[in-house]
Formats: sequence, C-alpha cells, structure tokens
Amino acid sequence: MWEAGAALRSVEKSITQERVDDYAEASGDFNPIHLDHDFAAETRFGRTIAHGMLVAAAISEMMTSSFGLDWHRSGRMKLRFKAPVFPGDTATAFGEVKAVSDAEPDREVVCTVGVRRQTGEEAISGEARVTVRNES
Amino acid sequence: MIWAAVRLIGLCGPPYNFVVSGSLNAMTVDYSTLAAGQEVSNRLIRVDGGTVSKYVGAVGDATAQPGGPGEAKAPPMAVAALGLRGVLDDLGIPSGALHAGQELSFSGPVDVGASLRCRATVARNSVRRGSRFVDIALSVLDDEEMEVMSGTTTLIMPGEAG
Repeated sequence: MWEAGAALRSVEKSITQERVDDYAEASGDFNPIHLDHDFAAETRFGRTIAHGMLVAAAISEMMTSSFGLDWHRSGRMKLRFKAPVFPGDTATAFGEVKAVSDAEPDREVVCTVGVRRQTGEEAISGEARVTVRNES
Repeated sequence: MIWAAVRLIGLCGPPYNFVVSGSLNAMTVDYSTLAAGQEVSNRLIRVDGGTVSKYVGAVGDATAQPGGPGEAKAPPMAVAALGLRGVLDDLGIPSGALHAGQELSFSGPVDVGASLRCRATVARNSVRRGSRFVDIALSVLDDEEMEVMSGTTTLIMPGEAG
C-alpha cells in the first residue's frame, strides 16, 4: 500500500557515449549535439550531451518497477528538462509519493519525480501520476 | 510558471534545456507559420521486436519484458520515442532547438509487434521574450483507433523568433 512520503526505488544509469549513440539509432534522433564531438564542442554545452528522452526513460523505468502494468495503463507524467546530462555522468531517477487519493476501488498515486546527476544537480524534475488497481 | 523558469535559466546561465532532433537534412520549415491545430506528422509505425530490443539495449531498461510479438509489452517510453520520430523527421526540427518539457499519458500496454498510428499537431506556437515556443501534441492510436499514448512536447526554436 502506497502512502504519502514513501520513496520509490531509485534507478541509476551510467550514461556513456555508446549508450547515447545506441539511443540515436533506436530513436532516430541524430542531432550532432549528441553524437559529434567536434560539433558539440562548438556549442554552449562544450561537449556531447545525452538525449533528454534517454535520461527521462529512467523515470518511466522506475515507475514501471514500482507500479507494473498500472503504469502502462494509466501513467502520466509532466517533466521539465533543467540541465544537460553528459556522457560519463551517472544519472539517478528518484521519486516520492506525494499523495494518494481516497477513491475506491482504484487509487491515484501522485509522485514527485526527477533525475539527478552525480553532482547532485537536478537534470529533470516533474510529477507522475498512476492509477493503481485494487487487486483484491 | 514553468515558462518563466525556463526563460530565466536561458537568460541567466547556460542553456539548461536539452537539444532535440536536428536532422542534418531537415526540410525547411518556417516555424512562424505553424498554427494551432495544424497537423505536422501522421505516420503508421510498427513496434517491431528489433526496434524495441535496440531501444531497451540503449536505455538499459531492466523492467522490459522478454518475448516476441503478442507476448511482450513495449516500454512506454519506447512508444513515445517512436512516436516522436515522425515529428523529428516531418517537422525538420533544427539542431539548435531546445527540449524544454515533456508531458506523456499512457492509456494501455502496447504489444511488441503492434502497429500504431502517430499523429502530431501544433498545440501552441507563441513568442515570449524573443524566443519561439512550439508545443507539439502527439496522439498514438492502436489498430482499433484506441489511444494508447498522448503527450505534448515543448520546444524552444533557435534563431529569430519572428
């Protein structure tokens, strides 16, 4: 049973250039800012950065881990991309239950979610909601 | 509020938004002409096992289910990534665009092997503090026309805001 204040099990990812390259292939997003070191060096970032949706995937994985197929059936999230994540970083998705509705039989669980870099900097922040089915 | 924060970040420090897309062969689009409700992409995609495997390998999703068509469910974010692919290609998002925000709603598990219709429309196109903000609404339907995913991608376009 979920209660306000409960922490979700965090998900940690090593963000490597190989992973970014693979994500580009899988998603079709070949922006050189993610892939081309020379190009990226000339941008404000100074080096390649991970795709935002690659980093955000860790949040969805965390929600699936916590809520199973309920997340597939009814998950909603609203994310703000605040800081870049670079190859070489460790990104950790985190979450905490903010509220649980009193509705019966299914309950809506509202969570604050985000992703932090190893520096502690918050790269993504947002909120996720999921309707948890009463299996009893 | 979010917009204000995004702009504040943009004005006061490094560009803390993610760059998206950036096809080097992007078609020329005058983003100032995009109107709310305008369809910018409409594609039929197949969530084939190879693509899902590639996606799962890239993101390292430990919750992904093994199995073939009809057995396994695709990670929700894989569906989102595939849905956005059409937007990237058809709208020709320029390299300097910033991904400021993302909303997603999942309405049902998607089987590996499913065919989906991905339709993207302009939700909003506005200029604030000299930057053009474009919200793209994405709707993904299964072969029974049931929506399995929807979302809104917020982009800040580079260059002149028109």
